[in-house]
Amino acid sequence: MKKRFLAIALSLVMAAGCVACGGGTDNASEGGSGSAEGTEGAAGTSEGGSGTVVVAMGAGFSTLDPGYVYEKYPPLIVNACYENLFKFYDNEGAPEPCLADTYEFSEDNLTLTVKLKDGITFASGNTMTSADVLFSINRCKNLQGNPAFIADTIQSMEAPDEKTIVFHLTQPDSAILSKLTYSALAVLDSAVVKEHGGTDAEDASTTDTAQAYLDTASAGSGMYVMTSYIPDEEVVLEKNPNYWGEATNVDKYIIKIQPDANTQMMTLSTGDIDVALNMTDDTMAELSGAEGVEIINAATKTVGFVMMNMNETYGGPVSNPKVQQAIRKALDYSGMQIICGEGTLTPYSVIQSGFMGSKGERAAEYTNVEEAKALLAEAGYADGLDVDLTVSDLDMEGILLTDLAQKIKDDLSQIGINVNIVSQPWAAGYGDAYRDGTLGFTVMYWGTDYNDPNVQLEFLPGGVVGLRAGWTAEMAPELAAMYQETMSATDNNDRTAVLEKIQDAMYEDGPFIMAVQAPAHIGYNTRLEGVAISDPYALDVTLINIK
Amino acid sequence: MLRSVKKLFRSNYLFTFGVIICLAWVTAAVLAPVIAPYDPIAQDLTLRLKAPSTEHLFGTDNFGRDIFSRVIYGGRYSLLAGCLTVIIAGGIGTFYGAIAGYVGGWTDNVMMRISEMILSFPSLILAMIINAVMGSNLFNTMFALVIVAWPTYARLMRSVVLSVKENEYVTASEALGASKVRILLREIIPNSISSVLIMATTDIGNQILMFSTLSFLGLGSAPPTPEWGMMVSDGVDYFNKFWVAGFPGLAIFTMAVGANFIGDGLRDLLDPKLRKEF
Repeated sequence: MKKRFLAIALSLVMAAGCVACGGGTDNASEGGSGSAEGTEGAAGTSEGGSGTVVVAMGAGFSTLDPGYVYEKYPPLIVNACYENLFKFYDNEGAPEPCLADTYEFSEDNLTLTVKLKDGITFASGNTMTSADVLFSINRCKNLQGNPAFIADTIQSMEAPDEKTIVFHLTQPDSAILSKLTYSALAVLDSAVVKEHGGTDAEDASTTDTAQAYLDTASAGSGMYVMTSYIPDEEVVLEKNPNYWGEATNVDKYIIKIQPDANTQMMTLSTGDIDVALNMTDDTMAELSGAEGVEIINAATKTVGFVMMNMNETYGGPVSNPKVQQAIRKALDYSGMQIICGEGTLTPYSVIQSGFMGSKGERAAEYTNVEEAKALLAEAGYADGLDVDLTVSDLDMEGILLTDLAQKIKDDLSQIGINVNIVSQPWAAGYGDAYRDGTLGFTVMYWGTDYNDPNVQLEFLPGGVVGLRAGWTAEMAPELAAMYQETMSATDNNDRTAVLEKIQDAMYEDGPFIMAVQAPAHIGYNTRLEGVAISDPYALDVTLINIK
Repeated sequence: MLRSVKKLFRSNYLFTFGVIICLAWVTAAVLAPVIAPYDPIAQDLTLRLKAPSTEHLFGTDNFGRDIFSRVIYGGRYSLLAGCLTVIIAGGIGTFYGAIAGYVGGWTDNVMMRISEMILSFPSLILAMIINAVMGSNLFNTMFALVIVAWPTYARLMRSVVLSVKENEYVTASEALGASKVRILLREIIPNSISSVLIMATTDIGNQILMFSTLSFLGLGSAPPTPEWGMMVSDGVDYFNKFWVAGFPGLAIFTMAVGANFIGDGLRDLLDPKLRKEF
């Protein structure tokens, strides 16, 4: 954040350099806007052809080997170069078959049978078989990297024939299709990966040596192939000549790993990049009205929530259910949305808007200071109360949690609750206290590990986050039982029904208030169409066309 | 003494200027509830990030709070932190250094090594560590500043005491049978204190800056306390809205400059080597 001024100055110099060398290149997006070499080369050669799209995205990762992919941005690349059995074609709703043709759950929901589509070939020309799927998923599991947890509910797999995969699950798991969309479970060309030292054996975590290769090239069936990856600099994707499906008209992507919002804003407005993924509310304001630039503000599934400990030892007055209801009624959600910026929204309840089964947004009219005061009086605090609100130094997608805390303090002062904000750095005690469930009253955020509403089940009594609020399964056995019910509901309609029951149960009660879904801001050149926000892939480049 | 202060006012315009600035800030801080037109922590989201106007002299921040009122109230924290840190650190350092210098020998050795240990850390980093471990609030921030600041005073005091204790009047007191404590309190400290005073006056400005730095880094009071450093850091997110960070920044600047001018003036007055025509 504090490097911003330097970044602006640098990008000004860069921009000046481009203008000096480039002459009259209108919205052509040549690569290498910084180096004199790149600019000279691009002026008349094919590199800067109109079929190339330049994207700027955030950093924070060091490998593009799907078996290790866990961070926010690598899925953008993996989704372009590889494919999964299932995919989110739309940011809202359920996963749909991609490589899969048909799928079927057994009666007891413990077996999932998937049939592959016909005629799928890898970029190498090899034909995809069920053996490739088994290899890829086993490799991810056995590498024991960060994303290996995603395959935890897969006990074993078998391939009765070349086109069929049978998954045996450890327990009914209604999120399994979403999990199979996860980048770490992308299907690799097993022949190519094995050739470069890859293995799916149980000791893969020590014997697999394919990462070095997969950081320089891709081995998938996706629309693009990766031709170069310079860590923390750029990734180049070129069209897969052997793509089995229908491709878009973008021939080449240059993905710049350049997270600074101001640099992105400037390079987007000069036409050096086509898509900027890390804009902020403030930089968006600079761009509004700029010609040839379109702006998207939309809510992500990262949610900022208020937690009130159910355990009286820690929560004190806020462990009182009536006080919890009063606080929920008193918070000014529309005000929080203003502070967090354009695109922010407040979910109806514990399931974020945009997830399958979500009941959407909480109505702005829910806030009612008079009713909140009445609830507080009912709880025996007619004269108000004093409470500490602990807050860490973290930020939620760029929004400081202390900003949310200040808003909460102001809102609660309206009903006579005097909030004393206590700041505690994450590393100096907050993190431990949060995980141990000893924080009484706090505001935190929650990012989803994978794109499925089941990740929210941890907020149920007895769940990982539920316990952090001192909410045990015994306190609300009926609600706690819905955890298993949701896990077993593999039919989408059944699943929506139980998810709605959970949302209704937590709409007015419980230790959690889902205050805001943080926004993401994307700016893009209007010569493109199909640019949209994507929670699983950051940006789905396979849906973008040049007009 | 009074005459020389008068002379100082007349001849040293920077000193006069510094005194005026600091008096203005002290008045503002003391009379904040009277001067400030708005409640410094009252939010009004309909007035977010408004540019300076007659309604809001310094504009409003991202919660719609009046920056002028916040700056006025913020003076309280900076003044308090700057002055109190110097008084406490100077007090501790004076006695510590005087004892080390007067007693000498092994005591001196051990005491000075301890203070050098603290001096060997980069002061800002040390203050940050202390603050992060103890939790951040106004008291802890000042505590951290004191911990970082006192060894400098101790070192200065010790070196002065080493020469003062060789004077005849000290020997005379010893010969008369005065106790060590009496000599220390009555002879040594009063005759060595002026150099510490000179350093203390120039140090107030530094401590205000240091306090603002810690507060900028999020290691001061918890929000929404209107501390200047924290207000500047709030403004970093709105770099195209200059008033959010600009006015608190200007406040820090004027306060630090004022304190330094006073410090320089007093040094001219108190330091015999620099006492030109006074």
